[in-house]
Amino acid sequence: MDDDQTEEETAFVVDEVSKIIKESVEATIGANAYQHSRVNQWTTSVVEQCLSQLSKLGKPFKYIVTCIIMQKNGAGLQTASTCFWDNSTDGSCAVRWENKSMYCIVTVFGLAI
Amino acid sequence: MTGMEEYHSSNESTFHSEEADSIVKECIESVVGNDDYSQSLVNKWTAGIVERCLTQLVKQGKPYKYIVTCAVMQKTGAGLHTANSCYWDTTMDGSSTVRWENRTMYCVVSVFAVAIA
Repeated sequence: MDDDQTEEETAFVVDEVSKIIKESVEATIGANAYQHSRVNQWTTSVVEQCLSQLSKLGKPFKYIVTCIIMQKNGAGLQTASTCFWDNSTDGSCAVRWENKSMYCIVTVFGLAI
Repeated sequence: MTGMEEYHSSNESTFHSEEADSIVKECIESVVGNDDYSQSLVNKWTAGIVERCLTQLVKQGKPYKYIVTCAVMQKTGAGLHTANSCYWDTTMDGSSTVRWENRTMYCVVSVFAVAIA
């Protein structure tokens, strides 16, 4: 049992991070419609909220959070990422969210210290 | 994101964003160059860009872990916003973002470099 606990503490848990991301997005843009004047504030707020919740987890990780918000107007958007890290300890989690007027893609990368 | 002006006292353990910028620009140009946005090819392009950037960065032989992300968007008038926030060692880690465009698409590539202890 003790072994499981220590592993939990130092592993990148995708589900936990995914939950944190979803909550941050819902809380920031939830039911809002795309507004050019506010989107800057939204992206900043989503990444900052995610980051503060992640650091509260108290795990020995460095984090990188990225957020993309795109207006729905028929344009195509493709994103890709590649990582050079330690496969056994580091991890990432991407969450795609949308409402009627916009898409939001948030990715969290966690690198073990 | 703020640009980081590091003193070049310790070449090995600071992230030089200008170097990363030129590597990224060269990779984008060689993969996408003058092509027009094509839905069938875009998957190949984003994968090609990130892989090429990563290979060039790793070749530098510095003690870093890297994350490279790339977003390619068709130009149709839609608004696109991106933001990054990082929780790391501000003295040694760094990032660089390059925005590129041609007639039919935008390409935004970000490189994050995290020092290995």
